Amino acid sequence: MIQFNQVSKRYPGGFEALKNLSFQIDTGELVFLAGHSGAGKSTLLRLIAGIDRPSTGSVIVNGQNLAAIRRGAVPFVRRHIGLIFQDHKILFDRTVFDNVMLPLDIVGYDRREAARRARAALDKVGLLGREKLNPVSLSGGEQQRLCIARAVVHRPSILLADEPTGNLDRAYALDIMELFKSFHQVGVTIVISAHDETLMADYGRRILRLSKGQFTQ
Amino acid sequence: MRQWLRLHRLAIGSTLRLFAGSPVASGLNLLVVGIAVALPLGLYTLVANLQTLAGQLPTEAQASVFLTPSANPADLARVEALLKQDDNVTHYRHIGKEEALKEMEQSSGMGELLAGLSSNPLPDAYTLTLREGSPALLDALGNKLKADPAVDVVQMDTEWARRLAALIVLGREAVTTVAALFGAGLLLITANLIRMQILTRRDEIEVSKLIGATDSFIRRPFLYFAILQGLLGALVGFGLVAAALYRLAPSVAQLAALYGEHYALSLPDGHAFGIALLAVTLLSLLGASLSVRRHLRALD
Repeated sequence: MIQFNQVSKRYPGGFEALKNLSFQIDTGELVFLAGHSGAGKSTLLRLIAGIDRPSTGSVIVNGQNLAAIRRGAVPFVRRHIGLIFQDHKILFDRTVFDNVMLPLDIVGYDRREAARRARAALDKVGLLGREKLNPVSLSGGEQQRLCIARAVVHRPSILLADEPTGNLDRAYALDIMELFKSFHQVGVTIVISAHDETLMADYGRRILRLSKGQFTQ
Repeated sequence: MRQWLRLHRLAIGSTLRLFAGSPVASGLNLLVVGIAVALPLGLYTLVANLQTLAGQLPTEAQASVFLTPSANPADLARVEALLKQDDNVTHYRHIGKEEALKEMEQSSGMGELLAGLSSNPLPDAYTLTLREGSPALLDALGNKLKADPAVDVVQMDTEWARRLAALIVLGREAVTTVAALFGAGLLLITANLIRMQILTRRDEIEVSKLIGATDSFIRRPFLYFAILQGLLGALVGFGLVAAALYRLAPSVAQLAALYGEHYALSLPDGHAFGIALLAVTLLSLLGASLSVRRHLRALD
């Protein structure tokens, strides 16, 4: 469960990215986050992942208030969250397989079990045959799938996707949305941000619309 | 526990990949650390060798004791008793005034001049052979003898021992100073090398943090890197010192032969070796942890 109580975020320099937001996302819900660039979508996701802290208000994720949490406890919160980035943030100094292994290596997971899970995650996104390649040789859409495989390999309870289809053509984007749907079906809480609402409309889910750091209806 | 071991194994693997990933740069870095180790260690080796050499030289000091011309047989007996008692005097010889005069006539060629003197102007004297001892002990002996009213002059032949001792003290001071300077240098070198490693692995660190890596997970490979670099760098330093000694060996043998001695430079002993290895590794680790702490915060 994700709960925002009167959250504002002001960046150094005075820019106010979010203004007094309050909302709740239930466990197992799939929610879209809509709005133009600069509306505050990324900031909102960063607050849920504990990358940034709110200037005022409280952000409660899985029962913990991220506004007040110790710096050293943040990694353990993130281990329950899968992050998917528009720019993928894939590491090009290692294979596709090793990229997916990273979240499991970080927690010191048993290697054999980890390898099994990594292959399962790659299979899920349709990259199983390419695990030994360097990610450079993957297309943009495939890199986004790799990013998704890395985000789900440790079976997080929350999946946050920041413009996951932003750079993809419609056919690829639909593929990716289908993937999210399948994660949603197994009970993962998912928040997906996008500036293009046409994709969201088909799914009939709740849409939070942001504009200049505030919700609009 | 198994998880902990796995995390450390992973970190070591990551460290070795760092080394193997850029063999030329890693080799050069080791050489830099090696040179920083070799300079103080080389100086230490020289001083240690000098000290050993000083211990091997015939160091029996000589001293001469001259009595006043008016000393009578009772005075002579008293001084002799004093000499007999003292542990520092291994051997003494009495040279009577007549004997001294005769010796002087024979050796100086001033026989005629001396023959013209109405009385013997030379005093009774003793030549002492002294046990090897600190300059302070010899001073104490000199003062004790001078305290006797019959003793006019005590000439200690200890200046050379003082000079050598002072030289060795100076050398040790120099070793400490140079070691402190190069130790600080080593700290900075490691901190900078780790900083560059962090910058080249910036993406990896950033992504790892985003997906839940703890600070210690990120720190670990760098600390292992520093330990490995310290150990290998110290070994390179020892190698450099050994090579330098090997190069010097023929000249030293030649020099020793001129003095009719056999002498070969020796490497520092295991004790010094161990301390140097430990010090270098710890300094390297310290430099790395300072650098990692500073730069990981900046990546938050």
